[in-house]
Amino acid sequence: MSRFLNFDTLSLHAGQTLDPVYGARAAPIYQTTSYVFPDTDTASSIFNLERGGHAYSRITNPTVGVLEQRVAALEGGSAAVCTASGMAATYCAITAILSQGDHIVASSQMYGGNISLMKNTLPRFGITTTFVDPTDTQAFEKAIGANTRLIYGELIGNPGLDILDLEAIAAIGAKHHVPVMIDATFNTPYLCRTLDYGANIVIHSLTKWMGGHGAAIGGAVVDGGNVDWGATGKYPTITEPYAPFQGINLWEEFGPAAFATRIRAEAMRDIGASLSPVNAFLLLQGIETLSLRMDRHMANTQALLEYLEGHAQVAWVSHPSLPAHSSYELAKKYLPKGAGSIVSFGVKGGRDAGRAFIENVELASHLANVGDAKTLIIHPATTTHSRIDADALKAAGITEDMIRLSVGLEDVEDIKADFEQGFRAAKKVAG
Amino acid sequence: MEFEVGGKSVFATTGGKPFDANKPVVVFLHGSGFDHTIWGLHSRFFAFRGYSVLVPDLPGHTHSEGPPLESIEAMADWLNDCIEALGAKDVSVVAHSQGCLVALEYASRFPKALRSVSFITSGLATPVNPALIEAAEQDPEAAIAMMLGWGFGPAGHLHQGPIPGNSMVGGGRKVMRGNTPAALATDLKACDAYRNGRKAAQAITAPTQVLIAGKDRMAPAKATAELVEHLREPEVTVIAESGHILPQEAPDRCRMLLRDFIFRHNPATKIAA
Amino acid sequence: MGFRTRQIHAGVTPDPVTGAILTPIYQSTTYVQPSVDEYLSKGFTYARSGNPTVKVLEDKLTDLEGGAATACFGTGMSAILAAMLAFLSAGRHAIISDVAYGGTYRLSTKILSRFGVEYTFADTSNPDAVAAAVRDNTTMILTETPANPTMKCSDIAAISEIAKKAGAVHAVDNTFLTPYYQRPLELGADLSIHSTTKYMDGHNATVGGAVVSRTDEHAEAVRFIMNSTGTIMSPQVAWLTLQGIKTLSIRMDAQSASALAIAQFLEAHPKVEQVRYPGLESHPQHGISKRQASGFGAMLWFEVKGGVAAGKKLMDTIDVWTLAENLGSVESLVTHPVTMTHADVEPEERARVGIIDGLVRLSVGLEDTDDLVDALERALARV
Repeated sequence: MSRFLNFDTLSLHAGQTLDPVYGARAAPIYQTTSYVFPDTDTASSIFNLERGGHAYSRITNPTVGVLEQRVAALEGGSAAVCTASGMAATYCAITAILSQGDHIVASSQMYGGNISLMKNTLPRFGITTTFVDPTDTQAFEKAIGANTRLIYGELIGNPGLDILDLEAIAAIGAKHHVPVMIDATFNTPYLCRTLDYGANIVIHSLTKWMGGHGAAIGGAVVDGGNVDWGATGKYPTITEPYAPFQGINLWEEFGPAAFATRIRAEAMRDIGASLSPVNAFLLLQGIETLSLRMDRHMANTQALLEYLEGHAQVAWVSHPSLPAHSSYELAKKYLPKGAGSIVSFGVKGGRDAGRAFIENVELASHLANVGDAKTLIIHPATTTHSRIDADALKAAGITEDMIRLSVGLEDVEDIKADFEQGFRAAKKVAG
Repeated sequence: MEFEVGGKSVFATTGGKPFDANKPVVVFLHGSGFDHTIWGLHSRFFAFRGYSVLVPDLPGHTHSEGPPLESIEAMADWLNDCIEALGAKDVSVVAHSQGCLVALEYASRFPKALRSVSFITSGLATPVNPALIEAAEQDPEAAIAMMLGWGFGPAGHLHQGPIPGNSMVGGGRKVMRGNTPAALATDLKACDAYRNGRKAAQAITAPTQVLIAGKDRMAPAKATAELVEHLREPEVTVIAESGHILPQEAPDRCRMLLRDFIFRHNPATKIAA
Repeated sequence: MGFRTRQIHAGVTPDPVTGAILTPIYQSTTYVQPSVDEYLSKGFTYARSGNPTVKVLEDKLTDLEGGAATACFGTGMSAILAAMLAFLSAGRHAIISDVAYGGTYRLSTKILSRFGVEYTFADTSNPDAVAAAVRDNTTMILTETPANPTMKCSDIAAISEIAKKAGAVHAVDNTFLTPYYQRPLELGADLSIHSTTKYMDGHNATVGGAVVSRTDEHAEAVRFIMNSTGTIMSPQVAWLTLQGIKTLSIRMDAQSASALAIAQFLEAHPKVEQVRYPGLESHPQHGISKRQASGFGAMLWFEVKGGVAAGKKLMDTIDVWTLAENLGSVESLVTHPVTMTHADVEPEERARVGIIDGLVRLSVGLEDTDDLVDALERALARV
């Protein structure tokens, strides 16, 4: 090995040291709480961050470590910390650098969990957020104030699938010395490595396309290693002595991995949203086929877009790869291999037709997850957003006839045949 | 910490303890295009065992004021200035790659405070491929890829790291990006031009230690053999599985060897006694 | 070292790489070999032949049973199959306890018999009956003691003597008592067989089996079958079983104490026809049980007055206890062998060996003894 390994190779090998004891080809599952120290000096060295090693599985675990280094490698980051869920990743990443009085500028079009965290939970601890229209890049800059410490967004937004102009937003962040944190769950590093476009921190719900099989919940924070935390005095949690570890200065000692180390030293230790080793093992199995699956997700998405656009019962179809979508040009730039496998479409006949469609498909699973190997659909107006009136729905970018589709890996002809059942029922309701 | 040498600001980490010139001192020197972060774990280890630790960024690298120094000899002078400015009395030098050339020059010319030298993955000279120097100036990403691609052994290429979850190649790439093109190109030219290695090695009187990486593709084996040949009774260890960036690829082994050597030749206990 | 220490530590060493105190789950199909010449130098090649996590469980069982080596299997039945295939072949003859787990009976009469293996089902509680059944071609005697579900007990040492004279292997199914209470190899048997699903796991989490051999030669023969027929235990199961065994003695003591109390309660109850528990003096082999085992276990059966209908009523209405197959777990289970575990045994054969239609089998778990007795009392009141 003399040149950097490529993506597909990394997705199989990165982070895994071949088990030196038995040569086991798969990473062993270290289902253990704690680790026996060979001597007291080693023990104190590990606790004092003088050497790597494992002490307690809430902080580090060898199986989880393989996954962390694999995700870091695929994203091109300097380090990663895995968490019990994607939301835990977001929470731990934000609270590692923000404190009372600090401010976030975030996209208004994001997964409900992200919105709720910033709108309801973080303000209780004095961290406030200004939400801005993700398609209005300048709005991010306008919203930055003296206490702004973070810009947050999803590369592919939710539910409108608006794409951030990441390079422009990263330039704003760099200009104001504010790191840009990107939730890359919908794109995965296979479709876009956001660090290459200037993002600084990457968040994943590994539960979705990364794991890919709907088998395990997990999250990851990737440290891009590309923030000069010391440039201003704005990030004391990174640049000031940290008392619990004998006043360690993480920025001086860990440089490009200072942020990840803060998460490990603080969030993993004090909050303990740790990923289980068995889940890490399952997620590793999923990542081994990430590019194969993503290629198939994209091919099926393309075929279904053509099918839906030509269907008489379809009122509208939205996907960033369609010229009519407002993010069409940005999709071409940032997501040339495909703009994700989430598609929204309207069923002619409104709310009742939408419900009829959902109730009459059999292969597609009616549930609220995305990124499974199986095709998933949901009708927001009668489920996730059923308690919201039409005006509020509209404000959230949801229409009454809207179906959200997470395209799976089935034979696309079978998905189409299944949808035909739904459209026939919808047509009866629509009259 | 920050201090001034020749009117310019120097940044150095001290391993998590304040610098105290009355303690024995361990100085860690980084290689071309790198900075203090390569020594992260090692510096903290010594700082918490009775030593004062100094891990400077070379001028023009990461946090130290520029411009980068253009010759190995100048870097050795600068190192001596740093040590004198801080008033350090019992100094062990630990050097990696290009840092070894600086250490050769420093140890041969400024023996007064020197108690030991540890050379890690370098020989007497470091001839640099002109294509690499050109890339450092014209296409920094290509130069970084060449250096880290050749520099790291398998563990680096597989994105492992001394701390669980950290990728040493990922971190190295970020550090080097901050030091291109000027610092890296200047470093490489200085390495290439250095010719005084043999004489310097012969002149060193302090105890020396040489750590060789079995999978090193950066340091020419011949130059390493010559270093061993011309030093006075060096303690030589080969770490078979490591690549060139040994302090990160084999951190535990490296730390143990440094500990055994430095504890013997520059003991921290004599202060207490 | 004592059993309680060994059930925790035997066979286990901290992971040499990370210090992990628990053995990692080596969920890996294959093992990278350092070189052609060093093939197998690290001990493992392919997960059908052996697995590091399974090996730790095997070593622990070897230690606890006092054997030479152990092979672990995907189920208790594949453990019995391997023992049979290792020491029987066409034209050879085996003597088996006339009351054994229904699966053992099925394996012998429905499967191996098709390949020319001959069987005699003998009353192994009577050593003379075993001696009388020995033929020139007898190569295996398989006893189950206590037997499932009749709780009949066999004299392990006496039958081992008979086997030795006959040049046959004596295999003992030790599932009901585990090495904590009974160590057949120390009494002269050649193999101790387990369904680890039961007390070893103890939590109803896995299915698994084991054959512990007294000699390396026998162990190799069993392991050869395991590898050839592909019946090794999975690493996940081995790992869970390793956790279960840590509390084996504690569970066994607590469950057995409850079982004795329950047996005494039932024996005194006017609606109960008969109770069979080796710890009761009324048990026909109470004496041999006391001699060869240090405890009586937590399995028993009883018959309700009023026969099958009354028994079914009790099993259908009882609370706290769960109507289910399996035994040996922390959850107390009630089973009707005639319709469940021993349904494959022909009615005449069941009648002959004493599996009466009204037999209610109890696997006493770890709940409070009072709660278990109260539940039985309420259920009996309803019949």
